[in-house]
Amino acid sequence: MDNIADPDIRFGAQGVCQYLQEYRQKEAASLLRGEAAEAALERTVDRIRREGRGKRYDCVMGLSGGVDSTYVALLARRHGLRPLAVHFDNGWNSELSVMNIENIIGRLGIDLHTYVVDWEEFRDLQLAYLRASVVDIEAITDHAIACVLIRLAGQMGIPYILSGSNVQTESTMPRSWVFPKADPVNIRAIHKAYGQRPLKTFPLFDARVRYYYTEYKGIHSVSLLNLVDYEKKAVKETIHRELAWRDYGGKHYESIWTRFYQGYILPAKFHIDKRKPHLSDLVFAGQISREEALAELAQPIYDPAQYQEDRTFVLKKLRLTEQAFDEIMSLPPRSHYAFDHDRPLEERLPFLTPVKRVVRWFFPFRNRHTEDTDA
Amino acid sequence: MITIVNYGLGNLASIQNMCRRLGIEACISADRDVIAASERLILPGVGHFRKGMENLRESGLKDLLDELVGVRHRPILGICLGAQLMTAHSEEGDVDGLGWVDAVTVGFDAARLGGRKVPHMGWADISIADAADPLWKDLPQEPRFYFVHAYHFRFSIPEEVAATAVHGYDFACAFRKGNIHGVQFHPEKSHKFGMRVLSNFANC
Amino acid sequence: MARVRIIPVLLLDRGGLYKTVRFDKPRYVGDPVNTVKIFNEKEADELVVLDFRATLENRSPDFAKMSEIAGEAFMPMAYGGGIRSLDDARRVFDSGYEKVVLNSILYKDRGLVRQIADVFGSQSVVASIDVRKNWLGRVRAFGRSGTADSGMSPLEWARILEDCGAGEVMLTSIGRDGTWEGYDLPLIAEVAHAIGIPLIACGGASGPDDFRRAVEAGASAVAAGSCFVYQKKGMGVLISFCTGLKINREDA
Repeated sequence: MDNIADPDIRFGAQGVCQYLQEYRQKEAASLLRGEAAEAALERTVDRIRREGRGKRYDCVMGLSGGVDSTYVALLARRHGLRPLAVHFDNGWNSELSVMNIENIIGRLGIDLHTYVVDWEEFRDLQLAYLRASVVDIEAITDHAIACVLIRLAGQMGIPYILSGSNVQTESTMPRSWVFPKADPVNIRAIHKAYGQRPLKTFPLFDARVRYYYTEYKGIHSVSLLNLVDYEKKAVKETIHRELAWRDYGGKHYESIWTRFYQGYILPAKFHIDKRKPHLSDLVFAGQISREEALAELAQPIYDPAQYQEDRTFVLKKLRLTEQAFDEIMSLPPRSHYAFDHDRPLEERLPFLTPVKRVVRWFFPFRNRHTEDTDA
Repeated sequence: MITIVNYGLGNLASIQNMCRRLGIEACISADRDVIAASERLILPGVGHFRKGMENLRESGLKDLLDELVGVRHRPILGICLGAQLMTAHSEEGDVDGLGWVDAVTVGFDAARLGGRKVPHMGWADISIADAADPLWKDLPQEPRFYFVHAYHFRFSIPEEVAATAVHGYDFACAFRKGNIHGVQFHPEKSHKFGMRVLSNFANC
Repeated sequence: MARVRIIPVLLLDRGGLYKTVRFDKPRYVGDPVNTVKIFNEKEADELVVLDFRATLENRSPDFAKMSEIAGEAFMPMAYGGGIRSLDDARRVFDSGYEKVVLNSILYKDRGLVRQIADVFGSQSVVASIDVRKNWLGRVRAFGRSGTADSGMSPLEWARILEDCGAGEVMLTSIGRDGTWEGYDLPLIAEVAHAIGIPLIACGGASGPDDFRRAVEAGASAVAAGSCFVYQKKGMGVLISFCTGLKINREDA
């Protein structure tokens, strides 16, 4: 990790940055090992099975075709769970991801529900984000996926969402590189500023409403991957062997857009290489050595031929000329916070603060160990 | 630079599209200077043989191509009708062709079709007759291509035949004579197989 | 021995892909450009793109969108929906398609087949016949997305169109569309054996077993929508194709 793109990085004693410390903290809080892990896993799946008895599905899970969700599917079936897999189709699926998903659900006997976003609406939203020149363009997809999962779980009366999030490969992320995914206010604000079509069907969930909804419906998110020894290399071999899963060559590369975003837009415009935090996690977890991580970073982030093909395709789908795209790329980055965003009630309407205190006194938040579905 | 010769017949855009996808520079042109200046040529074609020959003559491209291909040995790939035009004569319209290869173009022999329909339309496996032909380099296993034609080549000598296919009976579906290549099928419509053939032609 | 062509059918409406059941209840399936890209990588033999509401809504084909879609396919493409003249057909070919699919227009102007075939060849014209029972229970060819009874049996109409110079006939059973219940085999057999040109079976396929049955009944090629676009009946959208499946036909 370095401080070129990351303005928040701090180096402590012995040049150790704060990310390692944060990783250790998360590890201690969420990650279990050995017998404790096995016991917790058993308890968890047992609870899910019990509460799901008599229903068609006992849990829902997002399925992108990536390593994490694929392994969750495998674990779920191994432990006798009956998940409803939910795929979010935003029009950028690679053939490989679709093939992998077909194999996963076919071999594991899982039903699939797909939410197909209206492409023209999604395209307009992506363009709005590109013109806004903000960093986290993936926030819209991440927000929508969570929204779809929660709503579906609520509608179908399914209390458990199996999340693919995990400490070992996903905890580290510089704050300035991403924006909170649960925030729909920012999405609406950016769309209002730069969108050209009405945002009618795109899944959006107000963060507070979402919280009360999940409380009311009793929906819990469970991270199975934190209860097993999640060793990336071994996991890839396993899913390849048992599910004929094939590698995309990069994290999240199952989506052509994400591949282009992480492989070209982030490095070229924002000087961000997302491989660094991902590899850092693997180093922290002891799965690879620092040398191996550095060796991988030395490789080009994007195969040049693939980049050309993707670039042509992305510009075609977004209906951007080379010139228009170059202009967008040369816009200086803007912070998401330059647009309206979700703020606590007392910031928006300060006069309501005393009202909120009274309400809180009567209805305190229950002490839940919340694991968010957004990583 | 490859020029796809535009003489008024053929799905030129599809060929160019595949070339683009392969990273091969290809332009579509009817201009004599552009054609004369290109390293390689593609002669496409869909339609009637007589119309094809008429168009080539009237545009003056026939003479230019005779010169470029016959005298200056410019590599050229004929596709479907384009390849048929390179033969000496066609039963379709009873018209003489360019005569670059020792073959004629004939209609499918109804007696030997065994009830099969004409035109021959669809994907068919091909058998490589000349393994040394650069067009077949690294071709994926069990090569098949998209065919749509009612007439086919008939060669007097086997040396120039590069591949055969079957529709009721064996017929030559590809030929090579030095710098002159011809294929009956449509590489631009035969995805990974066609891509390999076009790619090989661009690099041979 | 020719392989039987296996052809995904995509229904287009105002730039988006849809899928119907019995020609009704269209459900959004996604962006056509990415979908065709996926089918291309899955090596689909051929693709048929139909703007299924063009005639009903009196619209012309959206040539720009069609070009975008065709640009992702390196296999033969056929387009249908709102083609009314030789000029329309020419523009369709220029947009990157090998064949035009004609349906409703032919009930008014069957001469269009000959017009197009004479310039571009018979193999470029697919005559599409939608079939269902009318209110008297008789099996008839219907135009305008299954709303206009032609008064003719599919057999009669297919013969006429063959005489007019069509290269192939695509026969769709409206009642089986989107049901996953299998093709209408008796209908396929009846028409296939009465015409000399190839017949593409469509409507009701659930997978390779249905394809084989249709070929045995006489179809030269098989087309399907739902089974390539949904994981399984009643489930979510997932593009698939039986890549590498070889169904041979002795006399294809």
